[in-house]
Amino acid sequence: MANECALEVEHLNVARSGSLVIKDASFKIYRRDYVGVVGPNGGGKTTLFLAILGMIPAQSGIIRIFGQEASSFSSWERVAYVSQDAINFDSSFPITVRELVSLGRVKRSNLGRPLKREDWQAVDDALDFMGLIDIKERRVGQLSGGQKQRAFVAKALVRNPEILFLDEPIAGIDAATQEKFYQKMSDLNAERGITILMVSHDLAAVFCRMSKVICVNRSVNVSEISPDTDPNSILREAYGEHFHFVYHRHECSGAFKDD
Amino acid sequence: MIDIFSPLLKLLGYQFFQYALIGGALATLACAWIGLFLILRKESMIVDGLAHTAFGGIAIGVFFAINPLLPALIVSSIAVLAISYMRKRGLAQSDSAIAVMLALGFSTGLIIISLAGGFNVELFSYLFGSILTISYTDLMIVSVLSISVLLFLSIFYKELLCIAFDEESSSLTGIPVEIISTAFNIMVAVTIVVSIKIIGIILVVALIVLPALSALQLHLSFKKTMVATVILGIIGVVSGLFLSAVYDVATSGIIVFAMLGVFFMSVLIGRR
Repeated sequence: MANECALEVEHLNVARSGSLVIKDASFKIYRRDYVGVVGPNGGGKTTLFLAILGMIPAQSGIIRIFGQEASSFSSWERVAYVSQDAINFDSSFPITVRELVSLGRVKRSNLGRPLKREDWQAVDDALDFMGLIDIKERRVGQLSGGQKQRAFVAKALVRNPEILFLDEPIAGIDAATQEKFYQKMSDLNAERGITILMVSHDLAAVFCRMSKVICVNRSVNVSEISPDTDPNSILREAYGEHFHFVYHRHECSGAFKDD
Repeated sequence: MIDIFSPLLKLLGYQFFQYALIGGALATLACAWIGLFLILRKESMIVDGLAHTAFGGIAIGVFFAINPLLPALIVSSIAVLAISYMRKRGLAQSDSAIAVMLALGFSTGLIIISLAGGFNVELFSYLFGSILTISYTDLMIVSVLSISVLLFLSIFYKELLCIAFDEESSSLTGIPVEIISTAFNIMVAVTIVVSIKIIGIILVVALIVLPALSALQLHLSFKKTMVATVILGIIGVVSGLFLSAVYDVATSGIIVFAMLGVFFMSVLIGRR
């Protein structure tokens, strides 16, 4: 079970507006992996996610989700995605936090039927887990940036996904809230065994907390992260030879299992 | 006070007014919910485009002496599917696609009318609405179509909310986004045809947009907004009907004014 492949990409090429954004990407992500996706702006991180999720077409290559080719994959309820634009929705949209999170329970199997009591229980559990239960009746447009992000993650979690794609989920959030968010994600990965892929510019958090890093800058390279990993040798593939990343190992204390 | 209420009670005794009330209320229910979803999808101007396109169908009906609502329904359904097709294929942006279908439908209507020898009273009734002269057959058509729209919206309300909130990521939920969106677009066409008899082609956009726009001023949850949309729409239409009958002024015009009154009241309440 530990070595079962959650995501497999082979020779993936993706073009947008006529130019190649992802070139010959091949990698595997296993169940329970906690993966940071890093790279410069415009490097293709979001494009990689969208292609995997079938939201933009791939030029060539194979994508397998839980061993099934993405083109014929039908168990989308096992997958959840939070877009980087999620919080930039129309703030006048008439929807409460609880109603927003309940949309995560909308799926093919309950098409045209109202949500059941157990669905609403799952909604309240997700709200509780993300610390939003006290403001569940508040309109989403009234929330702070951090609260909105947590609401969208709760919407993703309420599906009980086995793999979670997060595209810059905490951009523009203060450091203390970011830390809490990373802690929640670590808990989800460790306790519920959810495979997480998270686009992030917070390289320290990626190398402290996550088990793998995907560097994306047209080319895609995957590396394991361990306490002995030299981040610069990995990051220079994406950011260039002159890139130098400094972080303090002691800040990671407790983040690695063997620390 | 007695001068106001006694004519109202008297009106309720007339069959034409009963038909108008039932037809108006049912059409408003459908319009209110369709309008809410259209505003949330930022597609409210499709209403004006489709209403004018439906004029081609109305003219065909009058020319061939069949109930004009039926060809209007077919023409506006084809138009809404054509607009979706043009958008999806990248042939035109939403507003341009609507403009093309509006021009096509309305010019078709003008050509047919010129062949038929010009405008007549019946055509004017579809342009400006004639709810107080609604026949039993029209009432049946309006009722069946309105109930169909309400049933569709009630059954798929959570999927429609999901799509309205974020169409792109809705496909990841596994729901058939394209099929539901196409069905919704056909329901928009049905609702417009229903409303044409009530308020006329020119002002149909008001009946669909104003109730939802008023409810949105109240900053409620989605469920409460749905309820408020219906209540405010009914208040606008029923008060417009009574004012029109009592003071003998154009029904569609006064309904729009009543709805504007409801809108301004909602703005004031929402800002408190």
